Amino acid sequence: MLFTTDKQTLEDLNIFGRYGADSVYNIFNRTVTRGGAALLEEMFRYPLSDHEAINRRSSIIQHFAAAGTAYPFSATLFDAIAAYIDNTDERTRLTTEEQSISKKLAGMIAVDGNTQMVYKGVHSLIEILQGAQSFVSTEAGGMAYETDRKAIATLLSEPAFEPVLAHQGKPAHSTIAAYDVIFRFRYRGLILQLLHHLYYLDVYISVAKVAAERGFIFPQALPRHTCSVNAEGIYHPLLKKAVPNTIRITDESNVIFLTGANMAGKSTFMKSLSIALFLAHMGFPVAAARMEFSVLDGIYTTINLPDNLGMDASHYYAEVLRVKKMAQELSQGKQLFIVFDELFRGTNVKDAYEATIAICKGFARKRNSIFVISTHIIEAGDVLKAAAANIQFVYLPTRMDAHKPVYTYTLENGITDDRHGMIIINNEGIIDMLKAGLIKMK
Amino acid sequence: MSMSFIADKQTLEDLNLLGRFKPNSIYNLFSRIKTTGGEQLLERMFQQPLTNPEAINHRSATFRYFQQKQLTFPFNGVNFRLAENYLNMGGANSLPAILKKKLNAFLNDDEYEKLLAGLKAAIEMLRTFRNFLQHLTDFNDAAAWRKTLSALTRLDSNKELTLLTVARYDRLLRHTLRSEMEQLLDAVHQLDVYIAVSDVARQRGFHYAHALPASPSVFHTTALKHPALDAGVANPVSLHSDSNVIFLTGANMAGKSTLMKSFGIALYLAHMGFPVAAADMEFSVRDGLYSSINVPDNLNMGYSHFYAEVLRVKQVAAEVSSGKNLVVIFDELFKGTNVKDAYDATLAVTAAFARYRNCFFIISTHIIEVGNALRQYENLQFAYLPTLMEGTKPKYTYQLREGITSDRHGMMIIENEKILELLNE
Repeated sequence: MLFTTDKQTLEDLNIFGRYGADSVYNIFNRTVTRGGAALLEEMFRYPLSDHEAINRRSSIIQHFAAAGTAYPFSATLFDAIAAYIDNTDERTRLTTEEQSISKKLAGMIAVDGNTQMVYKGVHSLIEILQGAQSFVSTEAGGMAYETDRKAIATLLSEPAFEPVLAHQGKPAHSTIAAYDVIFRFRYRGLILQLLHHLYYLDVYISVAKVAAERGFIFPQALPRHTCSVNAEGIYHPLLKKAVPNTIRITDESNVIFLTGANMAGKSTFMKSLSIALFLAHMGFPVAAARMEFSVLDGIYTTINLPDNLGMDASHYYAEVLRVKKMAQELSQGKQLFIVFDELFRGTNVKDAYEATIAICKGFARKRNSIFVISTHIIEAGDVLKAAAANIQFVYLPTRMDAHKPVYTYTLENGITDDRHGMIIINNEGIIDMLKAGLIKMK
Repeated sequence: MSMSFIADKQTLEDLNLLGRFKPNSIYNLFSRIKTTGGEQLLERMFQQPLTNPEAINHRSATFRYFQQKQLTFPFNGVNFRLAENYLNMGGANSLPAILKKKLNAFLNDDEYEKLLAGLKAAIEMLRTFRNFLQHLTDFNDAAAWRKTLSALTRLDSNKELTLLTVARYDRLLRHTLRSEMEQLLDAVHQLDVYIAVSDVARQRGFHYAHALPASPSVFHTTALKHPALDAGVANPVSLHSDSNVIFLTGANMAGKSTLMKSFGIALYLAHMGFPVAAADMEFSVRDGLYSSINVPDNLNMGYSHFYAEVLRVKQVAAEVSSGKNLVVIFDELFKGTNVKDAYDATLAVTAAFARYRNCFFIISTHIIEVGNALRQYENLQFAYLPTLMEGTKPKYTYQLREGITSDRHGMMIIENEKILELLNE
């Protein structure tokens, strides 16, 4: 089964970002090759939902990170072969026969574009094949990379490549013409497979570098159906002064009821956990101290639901439809990670209270999925405490430093009734401003 | 000269007023203009609403006049553009072109042909204009135009133009009468806007509002609608300094935002002297309009929705306390915070604003309990938009009622969507 997510989630978590601004993708977007960049994006588009595949990819990256392996090729090599290998027009083949005098003369003035393309492509591929050969012979990547390494070695063991791998010095025109036939026509499939492996290698090594530089860790994926997340010291990878938090989720505590004042950091915490789980399902390193998680089928967040709907639809209705979508997915038996920030803020208090209780109770029945719900309706928490045993209550506290609210951004157990909305209004001097204005007008 | 009417970016976006390329903008509702100059004039009118009651009433009287006349814009688009380009070519001397023509009688000279075509288009435009003026005998602004045009009847001759005549006419129109021609082109742009806007008013059944001096503060209409909604429901709205705040409640989808937007749009258009979707409307001129309907949600991390709202309220408070006569629209104030804070904040802010009797406020909220606490202030009107239940389906009348509603059907909407059944499967 595919790991599913949607546009709303990708935007909430700033996975791809707008116009390439600071995004999660951009943290990792450090590949050398264009093929690697395309693969990286594909990995972001399609996270995995099989714990073995996740752990396999994760262990490869981890190994390269620990070894500090550098990518054995330069970007220019791959740029040269992109146009070359894609050109399968027979007419562009070099002719092997001795060049005529006139052609030689013409060649002295300017090598024609086609010949140049083939020359560059063949030169680059010789270098790439030889580089790949020496990379796999050093046992780089250790046990984790063994399967890939063997696959590359098998590809290179094709007898036709033997002279290429043994080649030394500047190849003659006739040699280039012969290699061209091997690379582009006769063994094109093998060459493409090899390049594919090298693009993967590029992703592994560049992600490993990011992990090493940023001190990201590699989560352990557990089989599905165990419903557990054990995240120690997770923080938001895009924030400069992010505060780490620890949370443990099991099927006995799979609904997280999160409270806290405005600006106490509820959204940031929810985004941190969501991003960590998203990356973890890609087999990528995450911003945490330690993490293990059971594999889920998808992740859906509702953090910044667009407000500017058509004239007749209310924000509340948009929220209801979003909850319905989640309920439909859950009813198909999917195991999901679901986040709702400020659930039902678009309606009156009593409705929000009733709806929050009803929906949280409904979610609590789904023991195989994980829910994080933040709300301002703290009264709903008291009812839910009695209604379901698998709801865990956490909050982000606000401490008052004289009249200034100070936030710890560190989770605590329980429900908070911190509220400082009036203090913020008073700090901004709104009521005083209006009073003073009236006096002046008189 | 009075200052221009204030409406900031957030307000213009909330009400979807401007934007030539925005679908459903109020600007687009009126934009049926045929000339580029007319388009620019319309844009200027939208960007600079007036604050002088005489100027407003003068402009709305003009629109009303054209609406009664039911005239068709008489100028042909292509021909007028040709004439306009010709007359705008600047005072450049065309003598070289004419002389060249005379000297090279056998050469195919493009420059001269262009000049001739422009001149002919200009003469045609002048003739059309003169004929059209017969419909505007009782229009004051037309007197000056008529004077210019009647002095030019001799240009109308159908005879082939000789080189000498072309040179003479060209000099006359582009040099001697240059400023008169500019005035006439302006006049065509104005006519374009007058006819287009009054056509929209007639087709959509709009009305003209009467502007009053700033003091005493008054706003009144017997039937306010949203101009872009074809089947909009009309509501009466009245405000004055003794009753300057409307406290609006109603369930989701009952039409609170639409009503508030209708009010803001009518007020804005009225300050432009434009037709409004409001019958029998009169209003004392205001200095500006501030709304907070869709406070942008997608803020940078760390900024909460609540704080964004607080900053918007602060901005409006600064303007109100500076003594300006303003109209303020707050939709769902403080929805981004907990209930108790929202209650305290809505109450404190509403009470503090309400004391500015020179300003008008419409404030909507879900925290209906605030309404009860505000009952002690006599300058507040309480209005709500009701929800009627048809079996389990909510139905909305969009018709304002007096009082505070406790209608709420949030759970019913959840039940109608059968969400709990899905979760219990």
